[in-house]
Amino acid sequence: MKEKFKRGKWKEFLDWAQNKSLSMLHYCTGCGAIELPPTMTSRYDMSRFGIGQAATPRQADLLLVTGYLSTKTLRRIIYTYEQMQEPKFVVGFGSCTINGGMYWDSYNTIKQLDKYLPVELYIAGCMPRPEAILDGFLELKQKIDSGEAKGYEEYEENIEFYHKNQEEVLGEVQRTQ
Amino acid sequence: MRNEKEVIELIEKNLSPLETEEKRAQNISVKFGPEDTIQALSFLKSKGYKQLSTISCVDWIDDNEFELVYHLYSYDDFINISVKTRIDREKAKFVTLKEVWPVAEFYERDIHDFFGVEFEGNDDLEELILENWNDIPPMRKDFDTRKFVNDEYEWRDYDGQKHTD
Repeated sequence: MKEKFKRGKWKEFLDWAQNKSLSMLHYCTGCGAIELPPTMTSRYDMSRFGIGQAATPRQADLLLVTGYLSTKTLRRIIYTYEQMQEPKFVVGFGSCTINGGMYWDSYNTIKQLDKYLPVELYIAGCMPRPEAILDGFLELKQKIDSGEAKGYEEYEENIEFYHKNQEEVLGEVQRTQ
Repeated sequence: MRNEKEVIELIEKNLSPLETEEKRAQNISVKFGPEDTIQALSFLKSKGYKQLSTISCVDWIDDNEFELVYHLYSYDDFINISVKTRIDREKAKFVTLKEVWPVAEFYERDIHDFFGVEFEGNDDLEELILENWNDIPPMRKDFDTRKFVNDEYEWRDYDGQKHTD
């Protein structure tokens, strides 16, 4: 309750509205992309939870990292994330984003996504089934509603930490933020 | 339309292969010395082997050699030919094939990325797939992936235990 009071009624209302209507940027990396069509379409139908698709980063507020992330893709993911407008949320899919997964000894995939981007939540599995994805989305909605999903604020607060980690694996990174 | 035997005959009659082998139906492997390879490839192109499917590279580290494999296909004979040649591993240099097949430029860039083979005559050997790579080319057999990963990335800590233990 105290946390809610601190947020203020207006922000609380915004969060409530936000969690009912999320636009997902369908940017696919790795194998998780194949689990999204059944999640989106009539069999599992994620639009009944108010999650739709967005075509461009600037229209989206939900970024899914669907599987292993090579350093080359990480650069594009960072550009994409920094282009998105706030509020924005990152969801990591599968074990590859958590600890490298089955690509743990690959020279060109990153091992921990949350070192480079603020991750709201991970969906475990290799790959997670659509039920698990929907469960993850529901949890994300709850987190947004209760004001816990503040990854984008964390990103700004700890921008040096994130930029340092990003530059460690990528070298130079162009900045839009 | 020729069958496999006739193609091998054609190659042995007109070119000087080190070794020819009919691997299985519709699949022939021919080895050439590095100096004959480009000539052999353009000869095969003139005989209907118009498609260069890809160029691959094999690191024979014990022989201290790289093997370049040119995969050709004929739409008249329905036969794949793998034209193989071996080059020195220390001075990894070969001649470009881009005058015969323009697409070879990109395959060569790819091989230059992952094996560090130089192709004389190909001016555009910049990184195609890798980005900002400073180590030895990653597909060479002496590239230690585990060591590179341990140096480059941090493992997630599960109460002092790594998931790789």
